[in-house]
Amino acid sequence: MDLRVIFDTKHRAYWNMGFDESLLAHLDEIGPTLRLYGWEPPAVSIGYFQSMEEEVNVDKAKELGVDLIRRITGGGAVYHKYELTYSIVLPAFKGRILDSYRVIDMAIIKALKKLGLEAEHHGINDVIVNGKKISGNAQTRKYGGLLQHGTLLMDVNVEEMFEILRVPEEKLKDKMIADVKHRVTSLKSEGVDVEFEELQKLMAEGFQEALNANIYEEDVPQKIYDYAHSLEVNKYATHEWNFRR
Amino acid sequence: MQPTSGISEGKFDYKAGKLIKVRAVFEGDKIKDIKITGDFFLHPEEKIEEIEASLRGKRIKEIEETLRESMGGAEYAGISPEDLTYAITEAWKRRK
Repeated sequence: MDLRVIFDTKHRAYWNMGFDESLLAHLDEIGPTLRLYGWEPPAVSIGYFQSMEEEVNVDKAKELGVDLIRRITGGGAVYHKYELTYSIVLPAFKGRILDSYRVIDMAIIKALKKLGLEAEHHGINDVIVNGKKISGNAQTRKYGGLLQHGTLLMDVNVEEMFEILRVPEEKLKDKMIADVKHRVTSLKSEGVDVEFEELQKLMAEGFQEALNANIYEEDVPQKIYDYAHSLEVNKYATHEWNFRR
Repeated sequence: MQPTSGISEGKFDYKAGKLIKVRAVFEGDKIKDIKITGDFFLHPEEKIEEIEASLRGKRIKEIEETLRESMGGAEYAGISPEDLTYAITEAWKRRK
């Protein structure tokens, strides 16, 4: 399989989600494609089924300049700041969707191995190192293809995250922060110091090995950007989409 | 005292494989309106609106059968017809 790789930079949340969906919508034309990117300004994405108001302190996010966005994929709320994000579009695998997480997560495990970390798939959609989550992943199937996107935490600041994410009970906030610190790790926490661009390269190699793919770098046609822009403006930046549940 | 007729509201958060949050309005023992949110996975995702619609107007005792039908053909994780039946029933028990 040939796998196009886009070594992208950091973008606004609305563009990121618009571009991911546009890649999926044009899978037939562009073929399997991996994009490696970041978020600027920082953002919170929530899963397709979550309620923005229940998950996020919206006023606080505004005050801190954190964008808020709903994904087309399920799963939980994610604070995107100190991370590398990937998205991959592929023809849909045969078999259960939930089993295919394991296949794609192997790319992250292989990339982490290159950094000297032993990682493993955990639960439905996580990758863990030393028993702690370092990567969360979510997948959807549309337009006859599969989109999986996910994060690899380069650093983590749980206090900062919980300034924006809501907790079920305010009085339990300190306990929740302590729990999350026990359950989540990052490259930095594991003693790995790596630049964003270097990590992009290692991730691309991880995908190359996990999917037994030939990777190549080539930009996508302008119309994929045009459709991404249309989705950015007319869907992902709208209150109607982000606050629909 | 829980009302036996008229309009009431109930909510329940259920940690199944993932978290399922039910917010419902009941009219007597029927579901008048319902919103199901959480960090679960359901494919295709748009099915959630169909599932919510399938529950509106149904009596509490009809939930499980309704969900078996409306969730049929979907792939899910962290949520199942049984999980959702339990969460809605608990929201009903807690109605005010």
